[in-house]
Amino acid sequence: MAVIRQGEMLSLVEDAVSFASKRGADEAEAFSYQGLTTNVVIERGQITKSARIIDRGLGVRVAVNKSVGFSYTNILDNKTAINETILKALSYAKASKPDEDWHGFPAKKTLPSVENIYDSSIVELHSDDLVRIASTMLDAAEKTDKRIFPIDGGVGASHLSQAIANSNGIANFDHGTIIECSLATIANEKGSVTPVCFEFNVERNYNIDPDWVGREAARLAVSALKAKKIETRSTEVVFTQFALQQLLYFTLINAVKSDFVQRNQSALKGRIGEKVASETVTIYDDGLLKGGLRTWRFDGEGTPQQRTLIIEKGVLRNFIYDNYTAEKEGKESTGNAARAGYISTPNIEATNFNIIAGNRPPEELVGTIDDGLLVYYLQGAHSSNPASGEFSVVATPAWKIKNGEIAHAIKGAMLAGNIFQTLKSISALANNERKIGQLVAPWVLVENVKVIGK
Amino acid sequence: MKDVLIKVINDAVQKFGAEYIEARAQKLFKTMLTVKEDRVEAVKQGIENGVALRVLVDGAWGFASVGALGVEALTDAVSDSCRMAKAASSRIKAPTKLIKTKAVEDKVSVRPRKDPSKVSVEDKINTALTLSNTILGYDNRLRSCTIDYLDLTGTSYFMNNEGTYLEQDKLYVWSRTTATAKEADVFTFSREEVGSTSGYEIFDVETPEIVGERVAKRAVEQLKAKPPKGGTFPVVLGPNVVGVFVHEAFGHLAEADLTLSGSVLSNKLGKKIASRTVTVYDDGTINGAFGSFKYDDEGVLAQKTPLVKDGVVIGLMHNRETAHKFNTEPTGNARAEDFRVEPMIRMRNTFMQPKDRSFEELVEDIKFGYYFKSFRGGQSNLDGTFQVGIQEAYEIVKGQLGAAVRNASISGNTLETLLNVDAAGKDFELWPGRCGKGQTAFTCEGGPHVRVKGVLVGGSD
Repeated sequence: MAVIRQGEMLSLVEDAVSFASKRGADEAEAFSYQGLTTNVVIERGQITKSARIIDRGLGVRVAVNKSVGFSYTNILDNKTAINETILKALSYAKASKPDEDWHGFPAKKTLPSVENIYDSSIVELHSDDLVRIASTMLDAAEKTDKRIFPIDGGVGASHLSQAIANSNGIANFDHGTIIECSLATIANEKGSVTPVCFEFNVERNYNIDPDWVGREAARLAVSALKAKKIETRSTEVVFTQFALQQLLYFTLINAVKSDFVQRNQSALKGRIGEKVASETVTIYDDGLLKGGLRTWRFDGEGTPQQRTLIIEKGVLRNFIYDNYTAEKEGKESTGNAARAGYISTPNIEATNFNIIAGNRPPEELVGTIDDGLLVYYLQGAHSSNPASGEFSVVATPAWKIKNGEIAHAIKGAMLAGNIFQTLKSISALANNERKIGQLVAPWVLVENVKVIGK
Repeated sequence: MKDVLIKVINDAVQKFGAEYIEARAQKLFKTMLTVKEDRVEAVKQGIENGVALRVLVDGAWGFASVGALGVEALTDAVSDSCRMAKAASSRIKAPTKLIKTKAVEDKVSVRPRKDPSKVSVEDKINTALTLSNTILGYDNRLRSCTIDYLDLTGTSYFMNNEGTYLEQDKLYVWSRTTATAKEADVFTFSREEVGSTSGYEIFDVETPEIVGERVAKRAVEQLKAKPPKGGTFPVVLGPNVVGVFVHEAFGHLAEADLTLSGSVLSNKLGKKIASRTVTVYDDGTINGAFGSFKYDDEGVLAQKTPLVKDGVVIGLMHNRETAHKFNTEPTGNARAEDFRVEPMIRMRNTFMQPKDRSFEELVEDIKFGYYFKSFRGGQSNLDGTFQVGIQEAYEIVKGQLGAAVRNASISGNTLETLLNVDAAGKDFELWPGRCGKGQTAFTCEGGPHVRVKGVLVGGSD
């Protein structure tokens, strides 16, 4: 299937907006998306498959008398089918109920420039190249230790393009690349199996280190062997970015979304200007972060992305907005309307949720602890109470820290608490910032975490 | 559609020397809407047409997915998928092989009493608004609610080079309702899902009034609930929690791909891993259930698969590839979310078989413990560590149900916990769910009430 280019994507959305307006839309917005992905899959120690996935389509949102309808299609080679899709959005808007808070689509604004989100060398990668990267990763893991078994993983390269137009004159195009490699391993010794240990690299530029990923995934699994149970008590815990991401995704990140705040679902409602975290914590939602995984010039409504201060030295400063929730408060959107490709209407999401790193090496954080834990991943974070921030999760894999050193792996330990209490108990941040999903953060040291052991 | 697929299949075999090729095409139509409080956020509909091609060349898989149904796009995709397979095969040590299956031709129609594609969008909006009004009118401490609705209808086509050709109607109806309540500093959260493959008539049983009250009542009751104690306690699990336990803690380990990857069930086939009370099935044949279908995405007939009988592991869930490795029959568990992705081993309707006890009999001997009635989420690991978060729980004190308890979760090792199951009720419920394993699959989970001698409860008190 032929790749569609910038000009075609833009005329697709501009034509859709003009057709919708002619057919009775008070306002119209069209979004087109194209994702071209090549990947290679590792299963149980070997490369077993490779795939080429082409997904593209058009989503049209219209408003008629303050009622909103949306329709999408992935059939783009047929003008009649596209027009039928637009008419369907109109008929759904007419069938829906008016929303007095609807103030229309965003106005046209100057777009910012962003750095390191597109790399043509990723676009040029073929499956043979990805097989080579996967082999490097596998070899590195297997050379590290005989007791490990790489259960799954792979390498993927994507080229994503998006265009948006609306009846206020917005007509934007942007494209970017992503490359990732990952490996999940377990270690096996005398019949005992470790939990799954996972490492990965993901970048917008062709700048990944499959050798490191392989070695690190293997090292983690080996060090997770010989796990012991621990006693119930409150203790110091170092959370890696994996654990932090799982903990924050369902709690803090939701609590700063303006729709959660406006709809009384956020424990942070009414607390702008108050201290909600320890003084060591400063957080930006940075839609323009250089090379950020969610860095784009504009969001899912065509609004410029920006850098928004969320928490400054522990004090809550701002929430994140799309156009609808911003208009409701007479504010400007912070460029946080996200889309899941062409099939969804915009939803408020964090871009790059950046917890500003400290200046101490991670070993030094561990080194200050007499008796505590290093928690790599959590299991069950999605069952946290999203409104109150209460969590009750399993720490696995995790390690006991004794006299400033990693003593041994632990098993079966649960952590329970409230994320907003946890934020106030962060006493130090390391300098090892990395990107995991929406989160860009270092390791953090939290005091006084309730650990439930045997 | 059939003619196009025939050409594609012939191309792959004749031009590219594929050992095996399958083509899955879909013509699907979705309606979705979201209601937040009394506001209809957006009414949405969409068309998703496309083809997935999977080929086996020199023992490696190649896969290509295109959002198009035309001959030209598919011809490109065939050469893509074969090229992909060739690249992947360069380092293959153990070539992939498939177990032989009988070729089958069939056309599967659904006959809903209420076809969701024929129910007007106004009706769907009104159902969601009634649900929202029921919740917000229940108690003024209920502050917000969100209702998501989805229906999916259409046809999927399957053809392979072994003579199988299937046309199956698809029908799913689903809704998720969440609500939050607040009093002073206490926030509570409550969630319910409805899901069916029978038709829109599910909302005549799970009416907006019934579902709304269930969600609202829980959110309000939790306001006065207390945090659980942390530690090991005897517990009674409700059918909803038993279901998610069976699915998360046990089911994933019995997916043959994960068993092969070294899950704690590898080498356990034929061995006792649970108390005699435990019998578990994964069943794709339950009429109307959210995880049911006739043929899976490799063209294999779905069946009722016994996994555990009286505490002994007697089966795993297979696709054609793992069935070949285990030299057994495929079970019809290969499922793909849509044309963008490949089929993988997924559960269908997974449940524990009921036994003989009443609820009172399960509770009466417990001096202090917990009754976990409804879950919020769950997750498992290959080493058998599981976690299930609970959205509705009560203390059990001296054999009686006591105070409500909030934000509890349970954890442990699956095999130890299954051995600790010491009694099961005579009741039975099946609940709809959605399982994430990279892709989303619609499933059901359930069982009777079950008593477990001791399980670790993660509490902050």
